[in-house]
Amino acid sequence: MKKVLLVSLLAFGSLFAQVEEDVEVPYISYEIKMGKGFDAVQSNCLMCHSFGYIINQGPQSREFWAKKTDKMITHFKAPMTKEDIDTVVEYLYEHYGNGKLKV
Amino acid sequence: MQRREFFKTSIVASAAIIGTNLSAGQTHQPKDGQKMSDMAFPEKRPMITYSDRPPLLESPRSVFAKGITSNDDFFVRWHLPDIPTKIDLESFTIKIDGLVEKELNITLKELRNDFEQVEVTAVLQCGGNSRSAFTPMAGGIQWGSGAMGCAKWKGVRLSDLLNKARLKKDAHWIGFNGKDKAAYYETPNFVRELELEELDDHVIVAYEMNGEDLPYLNGFPLRLVIPGYYSDSWVKMLSNITVTNEYKSLFFMDVAYRVPDNATESESPEHKAKKTKPITNMNVKSIIGYPENGMKLYHNAHLVIRGVAFDDGHGIHQVMISTNEGKTWSEALLKQEDGRYAFTEFRFTYKPTKYGKMSIMAKAINRLGDEQPLSKDILWNHGGYKYNGIDVVEVEVV
Repeated sequence: MKKVLLVSLLAFGSLFAQVEEDVEVPYISYEIKMGKGFDAVQSNCLMCHSFGYIINQGPQSREFWAKKTDKMITHFKAPMTKEDIDTVVEYLYEHYGNGKLKV
Repeated sequence: MQRREFFKTSIVASAAIIGTNLSAGQTHQPKDGQKMSDMAFPEKRPMITYSDRPPLLESPRSVFAKGITSNDDFFVRWHLPDIPTKIDLESFTIKIDGLVEKELNITLKELRNDFEQVEVTAVLQCGGNSRSAFTPMAGGIQWGSGAMGCAKWKGVRLSDLLNKARLKKDAHWIGFNGKDKAAYYETPNFVRELELEELDDHVIVAYEMNGEDLPYLNGFPLRLVIPGYYSDSWVKMLSNITVTNEYKSLFFMDVAYRVPDNATESESPEHKAKKTKPITNMNVKSIIGYPENGMKLYHNAHLVIRGVAFDDGHGIHQVMISTNEGKTWSEALLKQEDGRYAFTEFRFTYKPTKYGKMSIMAKAINRLGDEQPLSKDILWNHGGYKYNGIDVVEVEVV
């Protein structure tokens, strides 16, 4: 009897999602180093991705952060002003840099 | 510019020039033992969490003591921030269009009832898995070894869907698009294009993972399964298959997930390869699931070292274990019950007799004779892709 029950559950049960309501992805708060330029990071970068996505790239060179920012504009079409680009790169290099200008 | 300021700048600049002369450094073991998040994501246990939007979750090493990765432990990697929060199962369809005789909109019910149901057990691994092993640090999320997993996927053959839609004569490329969206309209979708010849009968459109519906974060309700290929091609929340005769230029195909197109697939930071190719097939790799780094082992205890090995489907021939820094290697026992695309489980019984710190190494060899290199012999590439160094776990015998 138990076996029959299990089979019928498999047959009918699997058309339903395990989560029947809206799925909510939790918000994770990452430790953010506050400083000059963070406002620009918030209004540009965090539109599309979390702060974790930035800091989990590891400490990187100035060139790396400049290229990443450029990738966001060229390939992902982030609408950034010239001033904001410079501000964001400076902020990232200052707080999440590896001390090297190039890779 | 004031003189003092100039002086300061020139010191920084010269330091940087010294830095660039280093070229690619020595590759090492990937990061391990990262902190697990306190917060669990939907249908998941707490995992190593790099980002919440888009979600990026890694499985801890202990998961790889077993050949099947459970759904709640399975790694998660999305590219775009906007994932639909609800899928209506009644109205959801997968659309097949482009160069076909008959355009199709197939519901989930039809998918289950009108086509042959097939299963394949296959490893899903991110091309950037273990990226943290590279020096200098390669661009991208600094994954440890847990951006991978192995599951039993159930669904229908892609070829059956394409046959039902009937491909036109000049059909050549198949594009796959999922329901995830970017924040800006102009951002490219995460579309994959594969050549028709690449897609054999092992490629399926899956709705089940390990006997359950796909977890939301692993692509519910449908995802593409391409056994042997890295996960960037396994499109999640798959909703559209478009057949074309020419290749479209796509960011995620043309720029991301590519390695140097040369014999060693390597380059240096100063001289990046001009010609690149998609990462496609996985290389041979193994991971020790137990014991883990930093564990204390009891002297004279009967230890069973466990782990998993895999490649792109040629199949694992041997897994070799060394307990003396690679001086000698002994063959582990293998369990291969789920086919050539699945994790091969290995186990090796070992009795530690010497007190103190020691290392355990695992090296897989596939049926072609390809074997894992030592991590220090792995050459650099800018994306930090395809790391497959011999796994090393450091323990202490007490």
